[in-house]
Amino acid sequence: MQSRKCGNTTQSRAIAGRIVRAIPREALLLAVAAIYLLPLWWVTASSLRPAGSLYQYAIPISWRTFFPDELTLANFANIFAKLDFGQAMSNTFLVSAITVALGLVVNSMAGFALAKFDFPCKRLVFVIILVTFIAPFDAIVIPLHQVVSDLGLINTRAALILPAVGNGLAIFLFKQFFEGIPSELLESARTDGASWWRVFWQIVMPISLPAIATAAVMMFLFQWNSLFWPLIAAFSSRFRMVQVAVATQIAADQTHWANLFASAVMGSLPPIILFLLLQKRYLKGIAGMKGE
Amino acid sequence: MTSRDSKAAVAFLAPALILLGFFRLWPAARSLAESLRGWSGAEARAFVGLANYRYLFQEDPVFWSSVQVTLKYAVIASPITVAAALGLAFLLRGKGRRLSFLRTLCFLPSAVSLSVMAVVWGLMLDPYYGLANSILKRLGVPPQPFLSSTNQALACLILIAVWRNAGYWMMFFLAGMESIPKEVYEASALDGASSQQQAWRITIPLLARTMSFVLVANTTFNFVTFAPVFILTRGGPIGSTNLLMYEAYKSAFVYLDPGRAMAMSSLTLLGVLILSIVQLKLARARFEC
Repeated sequence: MQSRKCGNTTQSRAIAGRIVRAIPREALLLAVAAIYLLPLWWVTASSLRPAGSLYQYAIPISWRTFFPDELTLANFANIFAKLDFGQAMSNTFLVSAITVALGLVVNSMAGFALAKFDFPCKRLVFVIILVTFIAPFDAIVIPLHQVVSDLGLINTRAALILPAVGNGLAIFLFKQFFEGIPSELLESARTDGASWWRVFWQIVMPISLPAIATAAVMMFLFQWNSLFWPLIAAFSSRFRMVQVAVATQIAADQTHWANLFASAVMGSLPPIILFLLLQKRYLKGIAGMKGE
Repeated sequence: MTSRDSKAAVAFLAPALILLGFFRLWPAARSLAESLRGWSGAEARAFVGLANYRYLFQEDPVFWSSVQVTLKYAVIASPITVAAALGLAFLLRGKGRRLSFLRTLCFLPSAVSLSVMAVVWGLMLDPYYGLANSILKRLGVPPQPFLSSTNQALACLILIAVWRNAGYWMMFFLAGMESIPKEVYEASALDGASSQQQAWRITIPLLARTMSFVLVANTTFNFVTFAPVFILTRGGPIGSTNLLMYEAYKSAFVYLDPGRAMAMSSLTLLGVLILSIVQLKLARARFEC
């Protein structure tokens, strides 16, 4: 595995043997890198290519297929100027920001109740909360449309925000974090006469920044990445969300490749940046990884 | 130690429970109730009992073919995804910049939405200018129709799902591998076990639970797939990629047949609920419930 690090003491024959044995593994690593890198690289490179030369180097394949000889941001300027992509992005940021703000309050409170209180039917409540996040949201979207429609909220921003505020994953993350806070800390504040409300906001939340950050990222990504619900809940272009903008564009505009490349890149940038910045916390949140 | 102050607990829980109840549980109940009502543009749709379901099961070939396509999609994509994820975890575990870069690279597609990844693969698989056919041409393979062929479209959607999700589930396997005590490997190494034997006799058996969890979780996801169908194929060509969620969407918003849509969505919900409860049982330790 670490053939390159062998010391001088090892016989050259043994080194050669190790190198030969490492070849299949190296080949596999290279294949994995290619399978994942090629599509991402190609789309990014193409998004930076002048729209006129997009098809020119597509086939036959050459190094020019992956390295544009001329770089431009014109495609990005175009989707913002002509396709209202900017509006979709700012709308999504606004919807996500409100969802995250409300969601942090509501879900942290629920996580606190589950972590620090005993009450009747606690297990049942917790299991229901878990099921609401284990079951994919898209499964509920069509009947949800009926419910929101009865409220008269279809085609409003509230329709995009409200269903996403209560978030089982965020509740679960908060619960787990709060369980690590010693109860004695809270009890002593209680005996000093502080209400549970004050204990929560003045003692618990200020020391829970890691959980707040993880939950905020999860809720932001939920909104940024969702397609099905915004597609049917808010059809007016004023409320269009990013994924809907990307999806409806490929349907309407199959031939306009330059725009598709640029909007695919714009649609993935915020999640990728967030993931790269908060990788460890994020993976701990979803997969329960301990990290190094 | 936990407090027994139930009143405070209820107050802290109430906002979230009200929201989840209203926007998750109530729609599920509504779906069931509405599925028992008929088709009509009028205000009060007549109660028709199980007629919508009877129609789906007995007289609706489009529904049946959609069920078949969905099962085919989920049953093929999920095991391949699990195998790919496990393979990636074995290949990419360990220390070092190179491996950590590759792990991040494989995970990136699942941080991005399935919709954007569908767009990316739509461009990749374009019959005329897509990268896939450019590469095939270089290898001497004739150009393929991919998404525009009844034989290949579903396979392409499966490929997209496997490619996007393998990196995500790989992280679950890496987390599972992390939690296997090092002593187990050290002891077996003393007994002369090769790394291959360790993989088959220790790692894989100890990951069995993670594997079944990932398999069920991934199947649940695949079961409600909507975005790639909506974006790339619109169920076609000739219904070959008409997944249930897309057919339910069309029923509700294109054919304006709410009874059928709600019956389909209730059946989907039932399936998802069962799969979710299985998942919960499998991941008990993680959720501590």
